[in-house]
Amino acid sequence: MRGTSVHELSVCQALLAQVSEIAADRGARRVIRITIEVGPLCGVEPILLANAFNVARTGSCAADAALAIETSAVRVRCRTCGAESDVAPNRLLCAACGGYRTQVIAGDELRLRRVELQATEAPLARSA
Amino acid sequence: MCQTCGCAISPGNAHLTVSQEGARGPVIEVLQDLLAANDRVAIHNREHFNEHGVLAINLMSSPGAGKTALLEATIVALRGRYRIAVIEGDLETDNDAARIRAHGVEAVQITTGTACHLDAHLVHRALHALPLAGLDLLFIENVGNLVCPASFDLGQHRNVVLLCVTEGDDKPAKYPVMFRAADLVALSKSDLLDVFEDFDPERAAGALRALGGETPMLRTAARRAPEIGAWLAWLDRELAARRIPAHAPRHASAATVAV
Repeated sequence: MRGTSVHELSVCQALLAQVSEIAADRGARRVIRITIEVGPLCGVEPILLANAFNVARTGSCAADAALAIETSAVRVRCRTCGAESDVAPNRLLCAACGGYRTQVIAGDELRLRRVELQATEAPLARSA
Repeated sequence: MCQTCGCAISPGNAHLTVSQEGARGPVIEVLQDLLAANDRVAIHNREHFNEHGVLAINLMSSPGAGKTALLEATIVALRGRYRIAVIEGDLETDNDAARIRAHGVEAVQITTGTACHLDAHLVHRALHALPLAGLDLLFIENVGNLVCPASFDLGQHRNVVLLCVTEGDDKPAKYPVMFRAADLVALSKSDLLDVFEDFDPERAAGALRALGGETPMLRTAARRAPEIGAWLAWLDRELAARRIPAHAPRHASAATVAV
């Protein structure tokens, strides 16, 4: 990772490594669209990630792919009363009872969700 | 404005950062963590630490919060009790490693160039230069930064975040990702609380508590007359817990906030 200036660029390099592997496995030369999930609590800024993607993808199979970034609300489950609530990223308290013993159940994702490949002339068998 | 860090992006030009869609083809559902490769190496590092019975602590804070000073005071206080080594992460210079070595403790300096964080690969490479056999405690002093290091598992057993009393007491509310990752928060340079009256330890504890969970908070003063007793006691407990063969939970068990 030496030479990268923000962690979004490191994350992008990891993303491109995963996408390139998937494309190679399926014999696709081009990636059309990449969808990722970036939760508000994952520590990565979507807009910086999109910008880093434009830098990092040059010369890769995703050189002209679209990047779709999905984000979700931060949601916690209360360990005390069991309620689930949508909360602000810096206020992870139960909205029902105000308790602080909570568990984040959504909003910390940093995941590759799907990859759309360019159709090959002789499509390969799809594997999971 | 630079071309790499995103500071040139505004709401007005953001749409230009995403390219246009092409012809449709096969769609592969993946659902894999983007940092899976880093996490695999982190697990590998943790296996190395466990194999040698070493407690590994990832120390994070803003630049200048006193990470190296706390390590120096810790080394002095624990001399003869625990065998310690340090991995130092900085953009440039081996000044911090030199400070650690001056106390007779082995230190490996990682200079990250322009990178704002350590990752599991960099730590793994450093481990090749650091014999773990015979060690009790490995401190990994991360690059001073309250943002990026939070996203990268290094293989540590515990994350310790320093919140310096010369900073705002609302830092946990401003940097929730970092403070949520903490297993322990230390209010560093706490001997300056009399001078920096704006910093209210109760407010800091409240902001930390608002992030959910029960992360303990304690005070450290590493310079002049060091007061790091609570920190040393926490280290003792963590080291004792590592020596029990049962798998230790990632987060410290129920502990009270004592500020």
